[in-house]
Amino acid sequence: MSMNKIAYSMFIAFVASLGTLVSIQALSSSERDAADDDALDPITPEALAEHDGAESCWKAIDGRVYDITDYLPHHPTPEAVILEWCGKEASEAWHNKRPGVPHSPRAEGMLESYLIGRLVDEAGEPVEPEAAARIDESTDEAGNGEAADATARLSPAEDERLHRALLGLPLDGRYRGVFGDGGEMQVNVQFDLRDGVLSNVSYRHLAYRGVDYRALDEEDDLYPVWVQHQRLAEGLEGQPLTAIFALHEPERLAEDIDGYSGATLRGNKVHSAFRDALNRGVYSWP
Amino acid sequence: MRRWPRPGDTALVVLLLLPLAVALPRLGGLAGPPELWLTWVGRVTGILGLALMLLAGAVSCRVPGLDRPFGGLARLWRLHHGLGFAAFILVMLHALALGLAAVPASLDAAVATLFPPLSHGAVWLGWLAWAALVVFLAPTFDFFGQPHYQRWKRLHLVSAAALLLGLWHALLLAGEAWPWWLLGLAGLGAIAWRKGVAPRRRHAYRIEAVEPLARGVVELVLRPEGSGIRHEAGQFVYLSPLDESLANGRGEEHPYTIASAPSDGRLRIGIKDLGDASHALQTVAPESRVLIEGPHGEFFGRRFPERDMLWLGGGIGITPFVGGARDLATGAGPGGHVHLFYLAHDESRAYYGQDLEAIAERHAGFTFTTHFYRDLGPLTETFLREHCPDFTEREIYLCGPPAMNAHLQRLLAGQGVPASRIHSEVFDFL
Repeated sequence: MSMNKIAYSMFIAFVASLGTLVSIQALSSSERDAADDDALDPITPEALAEHDGAESCWKAIDGRVYDITDYLPHHPTPEAVILEWCGKEASEAWHNKRPGVPHSPRAEGMLESYLIGRLVDEAGEPVEPEAAARIDESTDEAGNGEAADATARLSPAEDERLHRALLGLPLDGRYRGVFGDGGEMQVNVQFDLRDGVLSNVSYRHLAYRGVDYRALDEEDDLYPVWVQHQRLAEGLEGQPLTAIFALHEPERLAEDIDGYSGATLRGNKVHSAFRDALNRGVYSWP
Repeated sequence: MRRWPRPGDTALVVLLLLPLAVALPRLGGLAGPPELWLTWVGRVTGILGLALMLLAGAVSCRVPGLDRPFGGLARLWRLHHGLGFAAFILVMLHALALGLAAVPASLDAAVATLFPPLSHGAVWLGWLAWAALVVFLAPTFDFFGQPHYQRWKRLHLVSAAALLLGLWHALLLAGEAWPWWLLGLAGLGAIAWRKGVAPRRRHAYRIEAVEPLARGVVELVLRPEGSGIRHEAGQFVYLSPLDESLANGRGEEHPYTIASAPSDGRLRIGIKDLGDASHALQTVAPESRVLIEGPHGEFFGRRFPERDMLWLGGGIGITPFVGGARDLATGAGPGGHVHLFYLAHDESRAYYGQDLEAIAERHAGFTFTTHFYRDLGPLTETFLREHCPDFTEREIYLCGPPAMNAHLQRLLAGQGVPASRIHSEVFDFL
């Protein structure tokens, strides 16, 4: 094939690819932005202000809150520049990367993957209570009543976009995290993350009201609860990190949920321990 | 004889990789999820694409002498063509890869990356640069048929806009600006030289005589008005006739080979009626002025003094050998023996034949043989061996119509002559 033909073919292929991309975008649903706002966690300025350092850096930009902790090492400017805005309303810095120069649309795309919520006023009242309630319901460990509405809405356990928004892009490594309540550590998990996939999921601790579930005998009444927790861990093995949201609906991961649902340990707690592990960051590097 | 790497090529590669080398540490690696490696590909192709564009501009400067480290102007033009082609392809890959890199984030992000709000001027400068590329490369790569040469040439000036826009695009987005200033200066400087300075530095000559050699072939004898150019045998010049009575091509520059010896006080140029401009030159008025730019090329540049030479010329391609033979006649030129075969259709088309025979008679180191296609058909190995038994051992120079060149290359390759010993300079697209 001559140079001329290659150049012409590439030109046509290029224009056709752009045309395809633009037309697919134009033809797909455009209601997502509104839906996005509905699904976001409300975050008060006080909560925002707590995350003001390299170990946890949240920023409010145009009314939305982003947890950019994991991105900090990748940002091209010196860290001090970007840390200065942690825990603050940072719209101005965002829109003036250099004076008068905003961040690129590409950077905007990346920012969206770190979205964790929307900024609400001092009173803590979410702008749209329904949306907030929906999130609360799915993350509240006592939220048993969600089944009624489950068919009407996309289950939080299936909402991949929500998962991604909430998790950002954690680094590869070994993680450890805990869930504690009432002065007692109840769950301590350990897992490895490789390319966003979970492996070696295990419990370093599992207890409720002084009962160490890992030490139970097979005859023990509560032993099935330990088995089911192990199934949860097995069910997550090899899954993408976002699968931890399935812990809110543990029947997705473990069978024989009847005995389980009556127990005092819940998937929600395990989920919470996972989130704690992610918040703490990498425990040991791969 | 080794032809690679030429110093010019090495310099080009270094300059081409310079912006990439400077930027590479910031670009991360080619690993990770698609959005990361696509971004890497997008940036690398963008950096290389613009560097290629600017270098294609830089090598188009046509400063006399600067073509020699690249193996002559003809080869430099082919390099220019190749650089431009690669730039065009890479620039499109650049845009596509960056667009696709944003698809995992969302389709909206992908489209916004490629077509952001107008406030993101840097991206739109990139698109304008691409549009300018398409405007002047479409006729170059023959997208919609080939335009007239002069129109193509004028359109090719849009390249300056493409370079400028591309450079601006990069300076707004690049981390390190200095490599871009450097290459930008080279590329745009070359165009400024070509279009601004060089035309004023051409040498004025007067046409002393227009000597007909055969039907449709004349030799212009040019007398310098000032200092004139200094050249070597086999080089060529760009000639722009200023004769107001010319039907075509007045003020246009076209390349022609010099047929005179370097020591000749006159510049002689053999011109065959091959197009509008060369047709008009057959009847150019004596004592009218022409402007000469050059010399360029290095047809005999790869001299290998210890080896005898075989010259194979056909049609108007005999002119560099005429220059070479006239040079020999003055006692200059290479030390070894030279055997020139003139491949013509018949005796009437063997212009310069008598001159060459006369030189051969006077000069022991020069043998001249004619080969007429009408009588003998295409040149054969037998004919060559009969007249020049050691032809496979010689340094071989070819100049003639493309079909003749192709035939001779095949013939010589069939006799085991390595390609590195066969030299030809084809400037059919200059």
